[in-house]
Amino acid sequence: MSLDYIFIAFALMIAMMLLGLPIAVSMAAIGILGGTMAYGLPFMNSISPVVWGVQNDSLLTSIPLFVLLGEILLRAGIADGMYRSLSIWLGRLPGGLLHSNIGTCALFAATSGSSVATAATVGTVALPSLNERRYPVNQSLGSLAAGGALGILIPPSVNLIVYGSLTNTSIGQLFMAGIIPGITLTLLFMAYIGVSSLMRTRHESKEASYSWRERISASVDLIPPLVVFFIVMGSIYSGLATATESAALGVVTALIFAGLKRQLTWPTLRICFIQTARVTGMILLIITAAFILNLTISLTGVASTMSSWVTSLGLTPVMFLLALVVFYLVLGMFMDVLSMQVATIPITYPMALALGIDPIWFGIFVVLMCELGLITPPVGMNLFVVHGIRPDNGSISDVMKGAFPYVVLMLLFAGLIITVPAMVTWLPEIMR
Amino acid sequence: MMERLENMLAVIFGAIFLALSVLITLEVLLRKLFGFSLQGSHELGGYALAVGATLAFTLALFGRNHIRIDIIHERLPRLFRAVLNCLSSVLMAGFAGLLGYLAWSVIGDTLDYRSVAQTSWATPLIYPQSIWYIGQAIFMLAAFGLAVKSLWLLMSGKLARLDEEYQPKSAKQELKDELDSASQRQRGPSL
Repeated sequence: MSLDYIFIAFALMIAMMLLGLPIAVSMAAIGILGGTMAYGLPFMNSISPVVWGVQNDSLLTSIPLFVLLGEILLRAGIADGMYRSLSIWLGRLPGGLLHSNIGTCALFAATSGSSVATAATVGTVALPSLNERRYPVNQSLGSLAAGGALGILIPPSVNLIVYGSLTNTSIGQLFMAGIIPGITLTLLFMAYIGVSSLMRTRHESKEASYSWRERISASVDLIPPLVVFFIVMGSIYSGLATATESAALGVVTALIFAGLKRQLTWPTLRICFIQTARVTGMILLIITAAFILNLTISLTGVASTMSSWVTSLGLTPVMFLLALVVFYLVLGMFMDVLSMQVATIPITYPMALALGIDPIWFGIFVVLMCELGLITPPVGMNLFVVHGIRPDNGSISDVMKGAFPYVVLMLLFAGLIITVPAMVTWLPEIMR
Repeated sequence: MMERLENMLAVIFGAIFLALSVLITLEVLLRKLFGFSLQGSHELGGYALAVGATLAFTLALFGRNHIRIDIIHERLPRLFRAVLNCLSSVLMAGFAGLLGYLAWSVIGDTLDYRSVAQTSWATPLIYPQSIWYIGQAIFMLAAFGLAVKSLWLLMSGKLARLDEEYQPKSAKQELKDELDSASQRQRGPSL
């Protein structure tokens, strides 16, 4: 297949998506159009095994299980308690409660993937106390938006599962690879908050002080997310369980904690089920469509065209990655994370492989780039969400201003993992 | 009626994955503690996903969760918006119809070749696949119904209602649902 056709098809697909047609339908339509143009109607017969294959893939079973796990912890009110305990521990640092915003988001992200739910939960608990203690509004809002974005990098992450299934990369290794970058990025955010609030000494917020007894008793709320995280990641790391099995272990653990909090009621479970089903249905329909498109891509040799094109350009891997940073930054201004992932990976992944880039490393890079899209205007999901939470009717540009430093930090961080790829690849390698 | 159907599908969906989680947990514990394997939770996980996914497609359809990007859409004049909303639901029905057709041809092949799973259980694939097909058919019917309704709304010029019922679910809406749920939790006894 020639390069022109590929670019036209890609542009057509993006245009359909931007017009507001369903993402899944846009991808399937381009896949089927391309397939039937190349092979005629017999192409349709080759799709049916793909549809059964992808929906019967027990690897993807981990998606509903991880979503359910996060829903149970969220709806049982376990996340709400986390903010209070973290604010007691982190409130004394320069920057005070802003650290608790980032910390809670990161910790909550470690057990769930929904950034809307995370930002809404943390935001409703955090904003009243932030306003009460007169934190600058830009910074409060920015830290919430950025914190919410951490979720898709820190495992277990549904976005990493999607990458793994589209590229046939080990999900266990992707999860391991996400840990160090996730923690580093969290610490980077917190360091920025610390430094910037030290530089602005005129802002004196009064933090309450707590005795050790209070600290320890408040920390009870940190136990469930930590236990769930260690069970899920520990069972994968030790080789005890596959990603799907670890998700099931996590669900059972979350149910036990919800039961201990006496939250295992029918109304709670009902909302968990409906929400899990909706998110799962949305993701799996897109993945089904992506596999139909992938079939066309592999039959027509798009991957080899793209990889020989990129090698013919004579780019070094670093130049290629920098070009991708710009590409994703622009695309992320208009598209949401999942759509961007499924639409671009089939094209960018073979190019990255052709240049000798490690597939696990590339997964983390792509997810980081998509994460950036959550906080870049005009369409940044987290910006809208955080803007929607604030009690006063300020302008959305407050959130954008507040989130901007984090955009810069994430770009610097992308530079860091490009320079030191071992940050990503070290942990999965010692697991092998 | 739609709410009852929604509840029923959600309960089945939830029950499938809760049961699967417990089963997998048992299997992992048995394997670790006694070196004894039940085998099959892997296979069942695949079937659970196939059936669960089709139910989830329908629930996401009712909840308007199938992603659409609204950046340009929300800025268009009402007529364009209405036409695009209608087109989206018709295309979605087309995709659902295609999946239904593909599922039917999968079942046809399974019957022709009497296919069994490549596992130690050698399950005849027709059992899980017929349940999967029923789920796919429900999704297809639901999508057809919504598409017909949207066409009718467009034809009869009820653009405001078309807009209200078919526009992409915005971040604002999703957030409102989450906030309601969050404030409900925080009114509870735990805080």
